[in-house]
Amino acid sequence: MKQFDKILKFELKNYFTNKVFVGITVFLMAIIMIVMCFPRFSAIFVTEDDGGVVESRPTMIVTGENADFVKQMFEQAFTGYQVVCSTESQEQIKQKIMEGQVECAFVLDSLTSYNYLVNNLSMYDTNTAIANEVLQNAYRLYAMVYFGLTEEQASQILTEQISSQTINLGKDQVQNFFYTYIMIFALYMVILLYGQMVASNVATEKSSRAMELLVTSAKPLSMMFGKILASCIAGFIQLVAIFGSALLFFNLNKTYWADNMIINSIFNMPFDLFLYMLLFFVLGFLIYACLFGAVGSMASKLEDINTTAMPIQMLFIAGFLVVMTSMAGGEVDTLLMKVCSFIPFTSPMAMFTRIAMSTVPAIEIIISIVILMVSVVGFGILSAKIYRVGVLLYGTPPKFSAIIKAIKKS
Amino acid sequence: MIIELKNIDKSFGEKEVLKGVSFTAKGGRAFGLLGRNGAGKTTIIRILMNVFPSNGGQVLIDGNLIDYNTVSFGYLPEERGLYPKKKIFDQLLYFAELKGMDKKDAIKSIEYWLERLEMQEYRNKRLDTLSKGNQQKIQLITAIAHNPDIVILDEPFSGLDPVNAMLLKDVVKEQIRNGKIVLFSSHQMSYIEEFCDDIAIIHNGKVALTGDLIEIKRNYPRNKLVVRSKDNDKIKALYNATDISELDILITLQNAEEKASVIKDLAEKFDIDEIKVFEPSLNDIFVEYAGDKE
Repeated sequence: MKQFDKILKFELKNYFTNKVFVGITVFLMAIIMIVMCFPRFSAIFVTEDDGGVVESRPTMIVTGENADFVKQMFEQAFTGYQVVCSTESQEQIKQKIMEGQVECAFVLDSLTSYNYLVNNLSMYDTNTAIANEVLQNAYRLYAMVYFGLTEEQASQILTEQISSQTINLGKDQVQNFFYTYIMIFALYMVILLYGQMVASNVATEKSSRAMELLVTSAKPLSMMFGKILASCIAGFIQLVAIFGSALLFFNLNKTYWADNMIINSIFNMPFDLFLYMLLFFVLGFLIYACLFGAVGSMASKLEDINTTAMPIQMLFIAGFLVVMTSMAGGEVDTLLMKVCSFIPFTSPMAMFTRIAMSTVPAIEIIISIVILMVSVVGFGILSAKIYRVGVLLYGTPPKFSAIIKAIKKS
Repeated sequence: MIIELKNIDKSFGEKEVLKGVSFTAKGGRAFGLLGRNGAGKTTIIRILMNVFPSNGGQVLIDGNLIDYNTVSFGYLPEERGLYPKKKIFDQLLYFAELKGMDKKDAIKSIEYWLERLEMQEYRNKRLDTLSKGNQQKIQLITAIAHNPDIVILDEPFSGLDPVNAMLLKDVVKEQIRNGKIVLFSSHQMSYIEEFCDDIAIIHNGKVALTGDLIEIKRNYPRNKLVVRSKDNDKIKALYNATDISELDILITLQNAEEKASVIKDLAEKFDIDEIKVFEPSLNDIFVEYAGDKE
């Protein structure tokens, strides 16, 4: 236990004195700070703009039949434009658009037919859709008045709103989508990054032959779990630093984010979901870290890890893709997801996603967690055995069957 | 303290690496473990240090089964290696603490050894900035800083310049004087001859020869004569002798009793410059027991 303690402290110190590790953490915290403070900064600039600049909106020309009649409606609909009426010919308007004096123009033939003139039609240009709606309303208004209604009656009919309320009995996928997405992504990044770090730490000890001395100084079990736990703690502290600073700067700028649904939904995660996230995070991390530790012990050189770690990475990425596809499709209770939420290598992502975005019976959650916990212990023991055999093997990485044989023998 | 290996067997898969290895090493005496590459020396050391268990046999300390919680080992592995990117003092402290020292004692001991091996100026440097010889001195500190009962040194002199070799010799002699069991594994026979009181030659996983080095030499059959003469060729033809250097030839007799008559014979018949009974070096003994003659 004393040895384990020493190894854990030594490995942790390695992380916290590693300039790259500290640098990346601080960098990410700074980025988060800037992003979270962005609305506050932009608010400052916006107020300054209003005082100084007179008119910076692009110009939109409305011309042709009924142009004067619809101008006011266009002004209300296109707040981003300075809408002007014009009596110039179509050619002159085209010239102005080409020269950049005017951004676009609506040349109306009637209330139900027009030409839209624009230089370089943007992919996201919705002007025609808006114009269609405006003109349709104008036409209806015109028609209703024509058939005997007063203008007020007609306006009231056209602007009548439907009132509705959604009563959600389960989970709100829209609201939960974002933090589930972030959590899955964080899990993905951390497991791959730190898993790789565990593997390369072990392989470095082997290739630098520090292992020769280590195996005679400490028990392999302490060595491996010291490393794994240290990377788990380091990863966790890094995440706490990053997400903690996000939370801190969000709260400092809360009023500026009031309109942003996505950001608000992320920071208003229910507490029980947060606990599930922690649990699946730690268990998921541990099971993969064990495997990466074992893989590292099989490598003689650092370069070997790339090939030996491939199957684990594939497994993990496959799980990640299944979960991401299901999330994007909005259907998280498919048979595949249900199966994945009980397989220990995919359950941290799959089960968490299902809990967050659907309603999962408690028994399923318990079974999934128990399977995962048992697997962590099982793979921990197996990895420790592989590690014990692996650390003394040099040369080409042994075949899987040879490892199993060696473990049985030991 | 006496450490005794009794009938140690070890196989890796189908391959039998050690077959009934037995020898005894005593405190206050240096023990040389000799053998060709792949003879099984490192496996013996690893079993001795409990890195992995043997398939059969026992390791005894003063007649009782070894208890690894009470006996401490210091090890200088043949494949040298520590953490290349870490500060020297930090890793020395780490290894000393892993060996069970508390921090205060560990710092004191490491300071002493850095001073003793003239390495104080490097204490805060990274290991990979040091020369090979200096790295080796740092590695030596990891083997002895925790004041172990048994010191195992695998090829301790390789890569050291004569001054550093001298420094290391002093340290090793001091360890022996302090009553520790010092186990040497080396291919450099001159060092083994200089330090070791007892040896074991391992060949193909078995002990080919073990015992007190002086006794071994004394018991070596004294049936060989080294002769230097202008008539070397004639003598070679007559006595079926072999060249052992440009000037000397070696005559091997059927038995040692013939020596006197053969010497007399040679002196009468040929112009002899020098004639003496062959004294085997450890090298000769090693080649004889660990060579590929069978």
